[in-house]
Amino acid sequence: MIVEKIFNKWILVFLFLIPVLGFIFEEPYYITLTTKVVILGIAGIGLNLALGYCGLISFGHAAFFGLGGYVTGILSFHALNSELMFSWPFVTSGSSNMLVIWPIVILSSAFLALIIGLLSLRTTGVYFIMITLAFAQMLYFFAISWPSYGGEDGLSIYMRNSLPMVNTMDPLTFYFICLFWLLLVIFISAKLINSSFGMVFQAIKQNEERVKSVGIETFKVKLLVFVISGTITGLAGSLYTDLNRFISPSVLNWQMSGEIMVFVILGGIARLYGPLVGAAFFIVLEQTLGSYTENWQFWLGLILILEILYVRTGILSLFEKKLKYEK
Amino acid sequence: MKNKILDIKNLSKSYGAFKVTDEITIDLHFDEIHALIGPNGAGKSTLIKQIVGSVKHDIGSIILDQEDITDLTDVERAKIGISRTFQVSSIIPQFSAIDNIVLSLLDKSNKTFQMFKSVRNNKGLYSNANKILKEIELSKKSDISASDLSHGDRRKLEVGLALAMDPKVFLFDEPMAGLDESGTNMMINLFKKIKSNSPILLIEHDMDAVFALADRVSVINYGKIVATGTVDEIRKNELVRDVYLGYEI
Repeated sequence: MIVEKIFNKWILVFLFLIPVLGFIFEEPYYITLTTKVVILGIAGIGLNLALGYCGLISFGHAAFFGLGGYVTGILSFHALNSELMFSWPFVTSGSSNMLVIWPIVILSSAFLALIIGLLSLRTTGVYFIMITLAFAQMLYFFAISWPSYGGEDGLSIYMRNSLPMVNTMDPLTFYFICLFWLLLVIFISAKLINSSFGMVFQAIKQNEERVKSVGIETFKVKLLVFVISGTITGLAGSLYTDLNRFISPSVLNWQMSGEIMVFVILGGIARLYGPLVGAAFFIVLEQTLGSYTENWQFWLGLILILEILYVRTGILSLFEKKLKYEK
Repeated sequence: MKNKILDIKNLSKSYGAFKVTDEITIDLHFDEIHALIGPNGAGKSTLIKQIVGSVKHDIGSIILDQEDITDLTDVERAKIGISRTFQVSSIIPQFSAIDNIVLSLLDKSNKTFQMFKSVRNNKGLYSNANKILKEIELSKKSDISASDLSHGDRRKLEVGLALAMDPKVFLFDEPMAGLDESGTNMMINLFKKIKSNSPILLIEHDMDAVFALADRVSVINYGKIVATGTVDEIRKNELVRDVYLGYEI
């Protein structure tokens, strides 16, 4: 565990170094790539709280990622076009200010997670997986058939949303905004995992009947974990829309849920930095193998199979073993 | 006449035509250990599950400390003072022994939803947990993962989890199964000590332990209570000898 902590610190060092080097050597591509890793890492950390630590195998986290993205896109779209969003019960014309957008994204993702959680957490196992998947697919098909916001073609926003006194169009600046959120999410997750509440939800994953027998309302605990998890993933969706200045229904599709799950499994289930490592591995694989073949996901699948067969606890555990052996 | 803390009347549960418990009426007095004995499959564990609320009963009522808890959920019953052990050890395998106990202390100390304070820095919780580990003679193994404990130590830990809840009544389902002699003696002494605070409904196959501990014994067979009495009365009961004890004791 100590070795893993050292490795985690190195991850943070790399997250500072790579974009700075990209800036020095005028290679903005690497800054954008690292930004994508950071954002997808946030989404994975969100899912990891529910899946890795509480045993809630959600196959519908694309719903939160997509909702965060669409809320950001729609607010920005109306602000940039000076079109009213609503005229009743109050007049609002959207916003392109991140300080306005983020709280709305957080509240709406939390609300969606509350609704989905209230219904889906009454089931377990494969039924839970199917219900969460069904909710995400409902939103996906809704987005496709919503022409006001681009329908199947998606919605472009011409300017990245703004922060007072900060040039968010600068790739390095936007990267550090995302890094700030990543560090905050890691900090909050670490606090949660080590708290009494964290002890309870980690116990639920292992033996829910026992947790109930000591007088703890496991439904409420699971619901709260699901809401926190969905909210974090929603926030990642918001940042992703700002990164690409584009949002389309594809981020609501089950494939997105699957990708977020792959980040968690690749990096290490129930390891704080696991999804971040998983996302980095995924992006590097996409960029390297993707330049040789369109079917790079075949190789991803092969790696995933080998990992599940021989490592199981993710890339981080592999590093831990190797480092221990070297000692 | 002692007051009843737990009063169960006509509790029944059927699966199709098979009656697992058949109009069971049994009670538990303050300051008492009431043992429930009977052959395998007689309905003892199902009765425990009905009392804790994990198995829904068909008819009957359950009164705990003059409060009707018949329609409460399993968690609500645990909260108001029913604490149990499981027939097969049910612990949190990846937690250490002390963390298992701390988990059991959380609800009473209103810490379940405490989110941003490290639980391991809570000296009060860990100090209380250490006291319980000392009671069940697991102090030296407090940091060992529960999955690495021996069978006997897991049984002790089960009892520790129940103790931590400081309940109104204990329902112990074969707590001494698989324990060696010293473990059984430790349990007997512990149960004698705690029964004055929280009476015990005890399911146990170790008849030496039952006869050493029980103030009253009820015998269950085919889902029905066939006899209730003191240890001596039960020992002499012909029907009980026929269905369970035999004639060699």
